[in-house]
Amino acid sequence: MTIESQQLTGADEVEDPILEIKNASVTYDGGDTHVLNDVTFSIERDEIVGVVGESGSGKSMLASAMLDAIPAPGRLSGEILYHPDEDTTIDVLNLSDEELRSYRWADVSMVFQGAMSSFNPTMKVGSHFKDTLRAHDEDVSEGMDFARQLLSDLYLDPERVLDSYPHELSGGMQQRALIALSMLLEPEVLVMDEPTAALDLLMQRSILMLLEDLKEKYEVTMVFITHDLPLVASLADRMAVLYAFELVEAGPRDQIIGQSGHPYTRALLNSTPNIDAPLEDMKPIPGKSPAPVNVPDGCSYADRCPLASEECTAFDPEFQLIEDEHSVACHHWEQARAEIALNFAGADEIGVSKGGDSR
Amino acid sequence: MSRPDATAGTDDSTDSADEPLISLENVEVHFEKEQGLLDLFEEPDVVRAVDGVSLDIQENDVLVLVGESGCGKTTLGKTMIGLQRPTGGSVKYRGRDIWETKAGNTDLSFDEIRSSLQIIHQDPGSSLNPNRRIVEILSEPIRLTHPGVSAGERRERIYSLLERVGMTPAHDFADRYPHQLSGGEKQRVALSRALLMNPDVILADEAISALDVSLRVEMMDLMLDLQDDFNTSFVFVSHDLSNARYFAEHGDGRVGVMYLGNLVEVGPAERLISEPQHPYTEVLRWATPNLALDATEAGEPPMRKIDIPDPINPPSGCRFHTRCPKARTACPKEQPELETHGDRHLVACFRSDEDHEYWDSPEIED
Repeated sequence: MTIESQQLTGADEVEDPILEIKNASVTYDGGDTHVLNDVTFSIERDEIVGVVGESGSGKSMLASAMLDAIPAPGRLSGEILYHPDEDTTIDVLNLSDEELRSYRWADVSMVFQGAMSSFNPTMKVGSHFKDTLRAHDEDVSEGMDFARQLLSDLYLDPERVLDSYPHELSGGMQQRALIALSMLLEPEVLVMDEPTAALDLLMQRSILMLLEDLKEKYEVTMVFITHDLPLVASLADRMAVLYAFELVEAGPRDQIIGQSGHPYTRALLNSTPNIDAPLEDMKPIPGKSPAPVNVPDGCSYADRCPLASEECTAFDPEFQLIEDEHSVACHHWEQARAEIALNFAGADEIGVSKGGDSR
Repeated sequence: MSRPDATAGTDDSTDSADEPLISLENVEVHFEKEQGLLDLFEEPDVVRAVDGVSLDIQENDVLVLVGESGCGKTTLGKTMIGLQRPTGGSVKYRGRDIWETKAGNTDLSFDEIRSSLQIIHQDPGSSLNPNRRIVEILSEPIRLTHPGVSAGERRERIYSLLERVGMTPAHDFADRYPHQLSGGEKQRVALSRALLMNPDVILADEAISALDVSLRVEMMDLMLDLQDDFNTSFVFVSHDLSNARYFAEHGDGRVGVMYLGNLVEVGPAERLISEPQHPYTEVLRWATPNLALDATEAGEPPMRKIDIPDPINPPSGCRFHTRCPKARTACPKEQPELETHGDRHLVACFRSDEDHEYWDSPEIED
């Protein structure tokens, strides 16, 4: 293993990380404005991770950080380590421009929200595939065969799609074509930032199902970043929750949904319009999340939290393991589990009252 | 939720006071697709956005239209409030044909209809003038509806409404420009502006879809609270069945499921979700994420194709037959009518008729 400085934070405790984010911070205005604050998180090879955060939580910054693609004049500090295999470590923030260009397509590829803005409207979809292959000195005819395969994996008619201009396709088709394009150089990791947000729910769920198939077929690790917790919960193996530019909770999907320890995660779950939960139990989260310029001392969630104590405003809670692979940044996570009831079936059935699960 | 009057139910006795607020009869909206010069001599392509929809909206009613992109729900909503002229059938406001009124052929003024029927859009940013302060944006409707009101009183009303929609301190928000507001705040301004027209119906066109999931319940609660205060009806357009359920159940309203221009199922939300009668409603049910741990995984979708067919040449007979997992050879032959299936529940599927030839016809295989 090449990781020496293993910190005992839960999110870091994956067995075979393909991507490690260590103490990543993004600042603007010469360090005064934090839009990502000391995030440490690892992504396990061949898993699907769902990263959940509301607008303005820093989730897109986290996505950009993984590709060292923070929009100027933002400054990224910390470490991003990529492990193409168990014994190799690539320090992403020290790659040359040429190496970075290859890393961003062939190793870790990115899908953004809104295919319309990613495709050039004056170019046919097929030209985007060919240009990408040429730019990376790949064999075009071989690459296009693979492109057709990917498109049909995504339930698209390859010839029709390649021969169309982006606007001639529906939103759902464009977004699937974009996913195919991002898979063209067979990346190890696919990072997706709100890849389905502009689409209707039926198309979103259909795409999620196709992503799962792609993952199985091409053994690609996936990071799915979204504000939509219930949506990504149907796909993810593990989930991480961002609040006010910090990671507040991370763990296996069922733990995050059923036994979350952070009051914010629990409030987020209860605020979600749900198809089965009793209507009167769906409640909005009072207050607003802080702006990047005035993140309070102590816990950022304290002023909205029903459990906040003096300790919370005085000391920033550490991101700590509370049970296997499950980490929470909260002084009162046990109390949160006991006192903030979740409103849907199956939640909290295992282990709420028996804090003995924790370490 | 209790309601101040009982006129909204469809099961009420019909005396003249119960005349529907809005009444649609066999409405169709067909668009001719734009053509290039070379296509000049060909038959124009016709997009059949809405076909054969009949529906009433009562006072203080809630109707939620759900369906995927391209199903015609927004076009139908706009047709209901007189923003889109139907190419067939009629749309009546309190018994008067909206478009006849516009032509000056009824005893009502079109201005009255226009101010009674309001819309809030998915993207409130684009509907608010970026160069005007909130107080100026909200003054306009008061000037229109109450020309005699003084500037001071206008300001007072605006402040109290801003407070009512949760934008405090009101004087601070009133002096801001739209770009200084969050998405949720802009949507509150758009809602306030609509309410200041004293509307009978507000069309909320995907009005919460652009908001974070965690903010949607709050916005829906606000709309429903204000419905009680202002006595308005809502037509709420959404692609999300869990939002539809929340809004329709709290507002004691109905959900209408649309597919390729047709209403395929209409009913109370809980009934529609717990006992969907139309196979397409089951598809929407599948598409709706569920947090219950034993149900988070989606499984295979109950449909044969992912993409909705082109509305230019919709499939014959039941338009869903090309994707329906239960389609049989009877389905493409004729179009099922929307028929009553229990109290306040309508469905357009041959499967709800035990004696239909559907049951003796073979399954369709791809």
